[in-house]
Amino acid sequence: MKRRYICTDTVTGVLSAIYDAWLYDRKDTEAGIVFWGSVQQEMFCEYCEVKEEEKKAAAVHRLIRNHLGEEAETAIGYALLSEDPGKGTAVLRTMIEAQNLPEGKRIMGHLSHPAVQKVFELSRNVSRESHAWTEFLRFRELSGGILYAGITPRNFVLPSIADHFSNRFPLENFVICDETHCAYLLHPKQKSWIIFRDEERKWEIEASCSSQEEEWQRLWKGFKKSVTIQERKNRKLQQMNMPLRYRSGMSEYQDVRGKS
Amino acid sequence: MDAFRIQKEKTLYEKLAILADAAKYDVACTSSGTRRRGDGTGIGNCEQAGICHSFTPDGRCVSLLKILFTNECIFDCKYCINRASNDVERTAFTPDEVCRLTIEFYRRNYIEGLFLSSGVLKSPDYTMRLIYETLCRLRTRYRFQGYIHVKAIPGASQDLIRMTGFLADRMSINLELPTAESLHRLAPHKSRKSILSPMRYVQEQRKENSRELSLYHHAPQFVPAGQSTQMIIGATPESDYQIVRVAESLYRKFDLKRVFYSAFVHVNDDSALPARSDYGPPLLREHRLYQADWLLRYYHFSADELLSEERPNFNLVLDPKCDWALRHLECFPVEVNQADYETLLRVPGIGYTSARRIVRARRTGILDFPDLKKMGVVLKWALYFLTCRGKMMYPVRMNEDFILRNLLDPREKLPKGLGEISYRQLSLFDDKQIEEVKR
Repeated sequence: MKRRYICTDTVTGVLSAIYDAWLYDRKDTEAGIVFWGSVQQEMFCEYCEVKEEEKKAAAVHRLIRNHLGEEAETAIGYALLSEDPGKGTAVLRTMIEAQNLPEGKRIMGHLSHPAVQKVFELSRNVSRESHAWTEFLRFRELSGGILYAGITPRNFVLPSIADHFSNRFPLENFVICDETHCAYLLHPKQKSWIIFRDEERKWEIEASCSSQEEEWQRLWKGFKKSVTIQERKNRKLQQMNMPLRYRSGMSEYQDVRGKS
Repeated sequence: MDAFRIQKEKTLYEKLAILADAAKYDVACTSSGTRRRGDGTGIGNCEQAGICHSFTPDGRCVSLLKILFTNECIFDCKYCINRASNDVERTAFTPDEVCRLTIEFYRRNYIEGLFLSSGVLKSPDYTMRLIYETLCRLRTRYRFQGYIHVKAIPGASQDLIRMTGFLADRMSINLELPTAESLHRLAPHKSRKSILSPMRYVQEQRKENSRELSLYHHAPQFVPAGQSTQMIIGATPESDYQIVRVAESLYRKFDLKRVFYSAFVHVNDDSALPARSDYGPPLLREHRLYQADWLLRYYHFSADELLSEERPNFNLVLDPKCDWALRHLECFPVEVNQADYETLLRVPGIGYTSARRIVRARRTGILDFPDLKKMGVVLKWALYFLTCRGKMMYPVRMNEDFILRNLLDPREKLPKGLGEISYRQLSLFDDKQIEEVKR
């Protein structure tokens, strides 16, 4: 009978589920991974709860890195941050398929396989969104000199943008708040970053901006106005490159005083 | 008594408005081409692919803080808004103002770095020195490690260019116009020599630097993201063929990273410039030139394959690659599972990324049309030129007019300004007629 492994929708959860599935269903291409809270009951199917452990996750991570190679490690890493409910199953089946190839490290090139296609698609989707947030995220300086930015991503992109920003601003204290997933990325000056999940929304951000902030935002708006060439106006192209959903957090589209 | 008004010191906001406005016709706003991790002591890093932080309502990206150091200029180039004989408001930044703007914008993730150009104040050397001082202060005192694109001023001394090059990521010298005659006519203070000799100098320095770097890993880098240039399109009567030939030789002989094309925008009235028309800047022509530029750089095409003396201009209805494919139907259709990489690159609808994916994927399995779609191939274009396992997606007559009619569904986006055309009139060779409508 086919099995479904139930876990939480976290990286550790999915990797632990893969660990369990790898023990019992290494050959079974029917096995799948589902998440608590979104389980669709199926017939002729056995459900197993997964005991989630860091140790299991680390073992699977090692397995992926050693047998599927760096490229697959990156792709799977991105895919696991996706919001797609089928991501666990796709990763599991990709790993099973890799065993069938003469060279497992070629797996991400094997795009005619549906599971590999799925992982590829998810990872492309998440990496594109992460890139978009590195572009369109805007910091504002709070009164203590801390930089703060709020984002509303579809996928859980914080882990994939954390390195970029902490390498870029090593001497800054900054906070990025993922408002969709209620998570915070904290980077204290000259220390490494951490991500907190705050599912009950207990935290509140002191929202008063520093005295200089308003002036810099005004300068930035003025700059954007000046560099526009009126003769070439093309709103559609602008919107294609910078979709509206990213603009809610961008200071140039907000009224400075009207903001909370 | 307006005439006697004493000029007040301008605020930073006013200066920024004037000097960003004056720099906006420079097209190069890319931050790509170099990768550098921050070393933990300052601010900033560089990404290989570049990052665009915003887009203006004209659809162009804002990646760098694009400003002039000053818009005062002793040169009198006829197409330029800052020409000496124009009566515009003049101002200049101080080096410290440029640094503060860059750092504060960068901290807020507004920009990816600085693009610093300048009008020629007093003399080329004097201006270049000011630019050097600004960059030096930004790199050392403010410890800025983000991207810097700097313009070399034509006529500045080699020493200054060399010193500046070690601080910048990319350097560019504008070619301005495709031929020497046009340059002489519209930019009397610049000459082909004063533009090409610094370009050659930067190229040689870069070569020397790469030898140094292979010996000493931590040697300072000279213009690591390479040099670029730009040409104005539509101010002078050159054909697309001439322009593409010039671009090709720049890539081959000067190792340029990019050539940018900028559709001529009327800012001055001058008898040497083309008359004003109602069509606005020749944006579609610029777009076709960029498409051709990519074919030169990434798709192994040469200028002579795309255009010739007899066909000196691009077809405005079709992109250059599709146009080439339709004129060479004898090469198609190609079999996806067998064709080599170079052949795949020439198929409309397959980009270089999807071509690479195809080559990898067919090592482990046989590909079919749905797989291609998943990989990012645009089947709408590609289906006329491809077979999978010996079969086309639909039965297609290999006939130019038939394919052209199908590619150009008249309900879809026809380029603006062409007016009403019924597709039956269209054939590959009546682009002359269309150009008359357009130009």
